[in-house]
Amino acid sequence: MISQFFVLSQRGDSIVFRDYRGDVPKGSAEIFFRKVKFWKEDGGEEAPPVFNVDGVNYFHVKVVGLLFVATSRTNLSPSLVLELLQRIARVIKDYLGVLNEDSLRKNFVLVYELLDEVVDFGYVQTTSTEILKSYIFNEPIMIDAGRLPPLGPAAMFMQGSKRMPGTAITKSVVANEPGGRKREEIFVDIIEKISITFSSSGYILTSEIDGTIQMKSYLTGNPEIRLALNEDLGIGRAGGRSAYDYGGSAGSGAVVLDDCNFHESVQLDSFDVDRTLTLVPPDGEFPVMNYRITQEFKPPFRINTLIEEAGSLKAEVILKIRAEFPSDITANTILVQMPLPTYTSRVSFELEPGTVGQTTDFKESNKRLEWNLKKVVGGSDHTLRAKLTFSQESHGNITKEAGPVSMTFTIPMYNPSRLQVKYLQIAKKSKTYNPYRWVRYVTQANSYVARI
Amino acid sequence: MSGHDSKYFSTTKKGEIPELKEELNSQYKDKRKDAVKKVIAAMTVGKDVSSLFTDVVNCMQTENLELKKLVYLYLINYAKSQPDLAILAVNTFVKDSQDPNPLIRALAVRTMGCIRVDKITEYLCDPLQRCLKDDDPYVRKTAAICVAKLYDINAELVEDRGFLDALKDLISDNNPMVVANAVAALAEIQESSSRPIFEITSHTLSKLLTALNECTEWGQVFILDALSKYKAADAREAENIVERVTPRLQHANCAVVLSAVKMILQQMELITSTDVVRNLCKKMAPPLVTLLSAEPEIQYVALRNINLIVQKRPTILAHEIKVFFCKYNDPIYVKMEKLEIMIKLASDRNIDQVLLEFKEYATEVDVDFVRKAVRAIGRCAIKLERAAERCISVLLELIKIKVNYVVQEAIIVIKDIFRRYPNTYESIIATLCESLDTLDEPEAKASMIWIIGEYAERIDNADELLESFLESFPEEPPQVQLQLLTATVKLFLKKPTEGPQQMIQVVLNNATVETDNPDLRDRAYIYWRLLSTDPEAAKDVVLAEKPVISDDSNQLDPSLLDELLSNIATLSSVYHKPPEAFVTRVKTTQKTEEEDYPEAGEQSYSDSPARVADSGASPPASSANPQHPASRQPAAPAALPDLLDLGMDNSGSAIVSVDQPASPAGPPLPVVLPASSGQGLQISAQLIRRDGQVFYSMMFENNSQVPLDGFMIQFNKNTFGLAAGGQLQVPQLLPGTSASTLLPMVLFQNISPGPANTLLQVAIKNNQQPVWYFNDKIYFHVLFTEDGRMERSTFLETWKSLPDSNEVSRDFPASVINSVETTLDRLAASNMFFIAKRKHANQEVLYLSAKIPRGIPFLIELTAVIGTPGVKCAIKTPSPEMAPLFFEAVETLLKS
Repeated sequence: MISQFFVLSQRGDSIVFRDYRGDVPKGSAEIFFRKVKFWKEDGGEEAPPVFNVDGVNYFHVKVVGLLFVATSRTNLSPSLVLELLQRIARVIKDYLGVLNEDSLRKNFVLVYELLDEVVDFGYVQTTSTEILKSYIFNEPIMIDAGRLPPLGPAAMFMQGSKRMPGTAITKSVVANEPGGRKREEIFVDIIEKISITFSSSGYILTSEIDGTIQMKSYLTGNPEIRLALNEDLGIGRAGGRSAYDYGGSAGSGAVVLDDCNFHESVQLDSFDVDRTLTLVPPDGEFPVMNYRITQEFKPPFRINTLIEEAGSLKAEVILKIRAEFPSDITANTILVQMPLPTYTSRVSFELEPGTVGQTTDFKESNKRLEWNLKKVVGGSDHTLRAKLTFSQESHGNITKEAGPVSMTFTIPMYNPSRLQVKYLQIAKKSKTYNPYRWVRYVTQANSYVARI
Repeated sequence: MSGHDSKYFSTTKKGEIPELKEELNSQYKDKRKDAVKKVIAAMTVGKDVSSLFTDVVNCMQTENLELKKLVYLYLINYAKSQPDLAILAVNTFVKDSQDPNPLIRALAVRTMGCIRVDKITEYLCDPLQRCLKDDDPYVRKTAAICVAKLYDINAELVEDRGFLDALKDLISDNNPMVVANAVAALAEIQESSSRPIFEITSHTLSKLLTALNECTEWGQVFILDALSKYKAADAREAENIVERVTPRLQHANCAVVLSAVKMILQQMELITSTDVVRNLCKKMAPPLVTLLSAEPEIQYVALRNINLIVQKRPTILAHEIKVFFCKYNDPIYVKMEKLEIMIKLASDRNIDQVLLEFKEYATEVDVDFVRKAVRAIGRCAIKLERAAERCISVLLELIKIKVNYVVQEAIIVIKDIFRRYPNTYESIIATLCESLDTLDEPEAKASMIWIIGEYAERIDNADELLESFLESFPEEPPQVQLQLLTATVKLFLKKPTEGPQQMIQVVLNNATVETDNPDLRDRAYIYWRLLSTDPEAAKDVVLAEKPVISDDSNQLDPSLLDELLSNIATLSSVYHKPPEAFVTRVKTTQKTEEEDYPEAGEQSYSDSPARVADSGASPPASSANPQHPASRQPAAPAALPDLLDLGMDNSGSAIVSVDQPASPAGPPLPVVLPASSGQGLQISAQLIRRDGQVFYSMMFENNSQVPLDGFMIQFNKNTFGLAAGGQLQVPQLLPGTSASTLLPMVLFQNISPGPANTLLQVAIKNNQQPVWYFNDKIYFHVLFTEDGRMERSTFLETWKSLPDSNEVSRDFPASVINSVETTLDRLAASNMFFIAKRKHANQEVLYLSAKIPRGIPFLIELTAVIGTPGVKCAIKTPSPEMAPLFFEAVETLLKS
């Protein structure tokens, strides 16, 4: 059981603090923050999510720049606590619409009310927004949307990490719209995070898709929903085959998941037969299904790196990226990064003539080259030339001291796994009942790396 | 609700507290609610709003749940510091626990359990009993947790009232949420009890396994963790259990998956069929791998667990090594764990792929990660004989990049490779020697020197190489000096020519005469004697064949590994330490131990259950006047402030044993933390004044079974800002011993706002126990300063200069002055100084003066008939708000 829960800002201010058992001293938030901030003297290393100081165990996760922390004195399950911290963040976001320091401070009474229902004497009671609704009486105070930083197209996935990419919806599940009535709508997002490592010769060494079908329902009366996925969806690699020789099934064109798991509201009765999921979606944002794929897929970007030495104190790096997805699709907020040798003193950049929406930078502090591209249309090529000047002679093997090249990007309306929601059926209440349904696909780079 | 909650944080210029007080007593509901919100806001930012206790509690009787919850939140926070006032809330609690609305019933029981005030605890029993049998599952599940709360406050009460049986009944409840909470509560109670309370029989097992399917995800974790302690009778039962737990592996909640894995691993020990075991291993692999798709924090926990699992059952993930390859954006703590697992899973089949990865990592930016990657290559070489050569060639490639820390790390691991495969790879020594002058880390230097000494006969210029180090011998770290000494001896034994002979003399001289390091000196003398008595024997000793080292990547001791595996999915498996190494929550001492140490605390302790039983027999509704039971309470048990003299007296006489020197203050100290509430630790303490300074005179008695050390103290904000003026000096306390100390105190450090009071809240911690909080009382007279004496004329002037409104008086009907002399002496001892006296009819009138820090004077007039009870005390002071405290002090002094 946990002893305390608190939320700290990036500066270490405690925004929320709830003590459940009184067996950990009050100063724990300060002790924690100091420990995390100075984990290693140089501050270069991140503190692990679980550690013990003077008999108190500290657990923390980072959510939208805030630290969600729990303390305990007992030998409890750390995954339970870490998962709980993520869920608390999600529940609060469900209620407040937007999760940040400002909204937490404005709604502290509601937040404390939630915390009292979520945890009792350190034991988790429920983290389901749906169930909580019957016990929560405070209403959220929405923060002024105009005061939010402008939302770029990719900002819709900026909040949260991994499984909780906050969607564009900054709407509370409980508050009514200014107009009075709630809009009947449901969002289903297929979010795929892809990891690829290319060898220096361009072969794919490892590749993986971490996918989530995420749902957020604003339907009144919680009608039953049916989600149909690809009929030929396969689950589990055939026994005995290892991760090395995947691809055997790629020829058949079927999507094969290595593993998947489901939200507890999902009925799997017909899943084995026709790959449909039936569920009564609870309020709030939740993952209907998580899946993992190591089956080979077509990488959306190819990266080419060429390093030419020009004398002992100069070299030229030529970076080329090629978008290998259809031309009606556009990737945005692309960032290409490459560490350069530590003795690099100056870099001058040369973009292709006539390019717009691209910027380049040499980060002196960590000797890193950065290339930002606002948009990349499918099928296009882009090249960057960077002339490096060194402060000392290179050891004659620049490729060993630079790189690898890594990329981050977001590609809306595209998912490399080809997993699809074939249809989304809502149990009809009446003929006129026709809520808005949003099914959206998006791909994001997780670890997208090309070795040189 | 209108506007923003943040407005509650704004403060007005004029007194915040009085303003809030006014609003709390407003006749308008909304205004009261807003005011309570402001109070809670102030509370959350750490302001002391305890002085509003009565006003807030008055808002408690409301139908508005939102407001009620806020008041309850406030109560939980401050009830401890205002136990007498908290009693005022009892009636409402009891009433609420019978409200037709189940939410209110549950809320009342939940909140009452959080108020750790003994006086309230006794009123909790009846409502709790009712709520455990409530029709509404929400109320029952709240009541189940409340039993654990109560057990933490008063274990005996729980047992006496039969709550444990009620809790066990809830295991068969038809609501899975209730079942889960009952299991959680029982598991916690079992944890702190030495008696078997919650034993899982095959009957409960099957009930819980059924409940598992319907529980919420969190309930599933409670149940799985409780069941993991169950020992199946035979392989068949184990298989049955596993079969019912396996579907949990598909859960989206990582905690459920890991707890299920733990269950399965445990039962697998009993399963004999290799087919079943193989099948289970196959089933566990994908969910374990999927954990690595979760947030990095969860990944870290999963990796630490997987590290243990692959040591025991390497086959589970043998084919999954690729998922442990580091991602570019993994946090460093994840990368480090992945490296460990990669080494453990490396095999002849996948080593090429693994080496390729390690080579990449060794050129990354993070220095710690790079070092670890280089070491990983070496460890693979040691582990896999057939791959050793490939590993070495990768290391040589890395050395050629000439990145300093890579080279040094490589040399360290190559030394180990030489020891694992003697006489195999010495051809690379020449390459190593090239980097000699770039080495600046002790471990790398020492490793290189060892290599030179060991292979001196094959290195043509070994003597030159070693000589280059000798110049700086005195400045080298001990580790390098020791290796230099040994290497030079080896060189001399292998090449007994003139150069080495000179070198050995320099080294031996340096290592014997010039050094302070006993290890180095002793080793040098042994070599010296060996060399001078029998060079052949020296050869046998120094150049003896060394045992071949082995792979250290499965380092954990098998018994520790087994213990850690039985703790999979707990912190223990993340720290890789057994629970007792870091869990400091000491088990509550049972009452049998209590009886071994008869002391004052025990009396009131054993009293309380009986008393509670009494009041339990009569319906609490009859306690319409909540003050009544408080006043008939003989001595405040546990950590309540000991306001009644009776309590102090009887405890005082009992605790000071003959061989324990009493605290220097003389009179015995009152017990502030009885052993019964301090898990065997008893603390007696009192503020005293000596030599013009305030001290906290304390005595610690350890009646527990473990030595206690690392005592620290902290004082909460108080009216006078009293705080520790130095470290608390308490030596380690062995069981059965005690220690006294005088802690110097300073004033005006951390002044609490609000009306003056004598409350002193103290927290004491040590390394073995939880933090203890107790309330003590500030005796106002310890603040009277030595310079409080006043000239007669000054007294008169001051008296006249102060307005009449500053004059306050009080009667002490029970006090009696028998002799003016003794009374004046006693008062003078406490820095109350006599000025004059006169007779008024049959009464004696005494004039005295006193002063408290910051020069605030008190002018005192005592009027009494000698030998007759009844003393009137009138004072005049610039700080009349202190008057109640002052009177209390005078009354105490007159009594003693």
